[in-house]
Parts: sequence; C-alpha cells; structure tokens
Amino acid sequence: MGAVVWLLARGTERLGYNWQWYQVPKTLFQFENGRFIPGPLLLGLMVTLRITAWSLILATIIGLVTALLRLSDSFIARMVARGYVETIRNIPLLVIIFFFYFVMAPILDLGRFFTAVLALSLFEGAYASEIFRAGIVSIHRGQWEAAHSLGLTVFDTYRWVILPQAIRRVLPPLTSQGISLIKDSALVSTIAVYELTMQGRSIIAETFLTFEIWFTVAAIYLVITVTLSFIVYFMENRFKVVD
Amino acid sequence: MLKHHDISGDFIAEVNQINKTFPGGFRALVDFSTRVERGSVLVIIGPSGSGKSTFLRCLNGLEEIESGSIIIDGIELNDNPKNRLTVRRQVGMVFQLFNLFPHLTVIENVNLAQRCVRKKTKVAASERSETLLRKVGILDKANSYPGQLSGGQQQRVAIARALAMRPKLMMFDEATSALDPEMIGEVLEVMRDLAAEGMTMICVTHEMGFAREVSDHVIFMENGAIVEENTAESFFANPQKERTKYFLSQIL
Repeated sequence: MGAVVWLLARGTERLGYNWQWYQVPKTLFQFENGRFIPGPLLLGLMVTLRITAWSLILATIIGLVTALLRLSDSFIARMVARGYVETIRNIPLLVIIFFFYFVMAPILDLGRFFTAVLALSLFEGAYASEIFRAGIVSIHRGQWEAAHSLGLTVFDTYRWVILPQAIRRVLPPLTSQGISLIKDSALVSTIAVYELTMQGRSIIAETFLTFEIWFTVAAIYLVITVTLSFIVYFMENRFKVVD
Repeated sequence: MLKHHDISGDFIAEVNQINKTFPGGFRALVDFSTRVERGSVLVIIGPSGSGKSTFLRCLNGLEEIESGSIIIDGIELNDNPKNRLTVRRQVGMVFQLFNLFPHLTVIENVNLAQRCVRKKTKVAASERSETLLRKVGILDKANSYPGQLSGGQQQRVAIARALAMRPKLMMFDEATSALDPEMIGEVLEVMRDLAAEGMTMICVTHEMGFAREVSDHVIFMENGAIVEENTAESFFANPQKERTKYFLSQIL
C-alpha cells in the first residue's frame, strides 16, 4: 500500500500533475445560502443506487424463478431456463446493454434508466440463478423426503423447508454477485445514463481533474460495496442455524 | 388391476406383485406382495440391501414402482399426484437419519404440516404439538433447535412430527440404527407405546428383542423378495427356512 502511494506520488510529480483536491468537494455537494445542494457526483451516486437497487431485486427474482424452472419436472421449463442462462452468460454485458439500448429500447419504447435496469437484471439474474440452483441442490435429499412424507406440496416444501435453508447457504455468493452488479452498473454510462461513472467522466471533460475525480469515484464505489458486505455479514450472523 | 379395494376395510395396505429396479439394474423389489392388517404391527427384517427400506419408501411414493399395485386405505398409489398426496397424509414416516428441519424449532417442526396441510392456526397446531411432545417426553425442548438435541431426542421429535398428521399407518425405517446404544431404548419405548395404543405400524429394524415383543407379523426378506413370512411367535420360535435360521442365529 505504501509502495503504491509512493509510486503514485513520484509518478505524478514527474508528470508535473497539478493536484487540485480543493475542487473535489463541490462536485459532491455545496451549501448555497445555507441550503444543501448535491453536486453532480452525489446525483450520480443516487442514480447508481437506484439502478443497482432495482436490478438487485429483479435479478434475485429472475434468478430464483430460473433456478426453480431448471429444477422443475417440466422439460420445456428446464430448456427455457437453460437457454436463458447459457445465452446470457456467454454474451459480454456491454453487448447486452447495447443490444437492449439500440435494438429493444426503440422497439419497445423504453427509457434509458429502464433499459439499464433491464439489461443489468437479466445479466446478473443468469448468474444468480446458478447460485440459487447450487444452493437448492445442496440441501440434503432427506429434507425433501421428510416434507413429502408429511404430505406437503412442492410449493410448501420450497417455501417452508428448502428455500429458507438454501438462502442461508447462498447468501455469501449472492453478495459477491451483488457487488459485481454494483460495479457492472458503471457500464451503463455507455448509454448515457448519468450515474456515478458517467458524472465523473463529464466532470473530467469539463475540468481535467482526471486523477482527483477517478480517485473519488473509486472511493465511493468502495464505500457502497463494503457497506453491502457488512450488511450481509450481520444478516448471516442473524440467521445462523445450529446444525 | 386386482380387486382388493373391497376388503380394504380390514387391510390398510395391500401390496400386489410390485417390482422396483434402480438405474444400473439393481433389482430392489421382485414381485413383492403383502398385506397389512389394521391395528397390527408388521416387522421387516433382513440383511442390508435386501429391499426393506425401498419397500417402505414405495408405500408412500418416495420411490416409484414399475409394476404391480399399492393400495393404501382404499386409495391406489399411481401417477396421480393427488392420490400420492392423499396417501402421504395418511402415512407417517420416521427416517433413520431423523430428517428434522434444522432451521425450525422443535415445535415448529411438529406444527409445519398441520399448518400447511391441515390449515390449522398456529394456536391450534401448537396445542396438538404440545400434547405430542409431552407424549414422547420432550416438551421441555419445544423451543430448541434440532441441532441442540441428542439423536434420541431428535428421533422422538420426528415421531411426534409424523404423528401430528394423525396418520393411519406409521412406518419406521431403521429408526434406531443411527443412534448411540444408550439412546435406542428411549425411542423404542415410544414405539412400544404407540403399538400398545393400537397404531398400525410397519417397522424395518435390527432390534430383534423389540421385534419379538411388539410385532404381530414378521417378514424376512432378501434380494427384494420374501424369504419367510409368519406370525411373530412362530417366526422366532420356529423358523422354517434355513436362510432365516442362519440370519437369526447370527444376530440374536
């Protein structure tokens, strides 16, 4: 860490970079006549948070439904789910975003924000479904048998027996996926959604504060992802099961 | 296929010529037939891999049979999922490895099916659960999680959980085989009490003392078929087949 800082300091010195950290706070927020006014980076952060929150919810739902379809008795359902997962997993996210923005959005008349959420949820949902599937399959067969022998329906068995146990197990990998989602959301800046990264780029275009702004943007992402990790860490402890 | 529906007043379970082959070709059950009288206790013994557990699992549809028929309380177990649910709700099963739900407390384990299947309120379900937990002597652990209990205690909870559905038939699949020796007694005692109350039971077990004491009927099976079937007294006092004599001499 120290070495990196030293290298950076030396490198920028050699470049003759003119640090202007004092410019950074106003990109975050300002006080005008005692009123709080969010700066462009903070506005971008809000958009990022909204995109990721919606995408997280949608991706979780898509992931869970796809996993259940893949484990169902119906051949067609399994094929549909498999087709979705394999297609999405083997296409770069950027291409998916462009596909939705340039192809689907004009056809279906979708806004940028919605297009971004849709592309991200469908992309992350495919990964989430594999995580859910692994979690469900990892539950011991005896749990199914005990539930069946009590006469529980498949729905009740999932609802009360299998999923509550599976979700506890998949929380850590699901969190990693959530963190990926937050980071991947930076890619929607390519379709001019004014989220954190896009705001950073536009500030740099106007001010040439390249280093300061990218450092700040990176730090903000770090704060969001670390916060998410902590929330999940506490949730895991809360739901711990004695085996 | 066979018209046994008529006499199902006397027999809770009628099994006719069932066959079960596992993927890979292992024949677990070969033309297996038997009948279980209401209120009787049937004990099934035999060496490992003889098809005892598979037979129990076929009886509540955990395994599907390839041919033959199984009729439980007048209902034929077939491809109809509704029939299968109906049968399962009348047949309680206790597993070798307990299979309690680890994320639910003891009382929630016993409540679950009553609430999901019988649509009881939490209060009504808990009332019955408490009665059952008292009966199996574990009411003081009602709010513990299965992981906090000993094997014997877990198995008694599993019995209470199965009884909560008011089954007409209880099946025990080597219910004491996974227990430490000193815990076997407490589980057998609960099973003994059930038999004394007149519960119809099918027990796969290696506990010969228990088998001799509570069973009305004994089946000795090997390679998926019945070697010898008799009333309990005759079976243990006077086994007919050499194979049976040898088996008993080895484990008694």
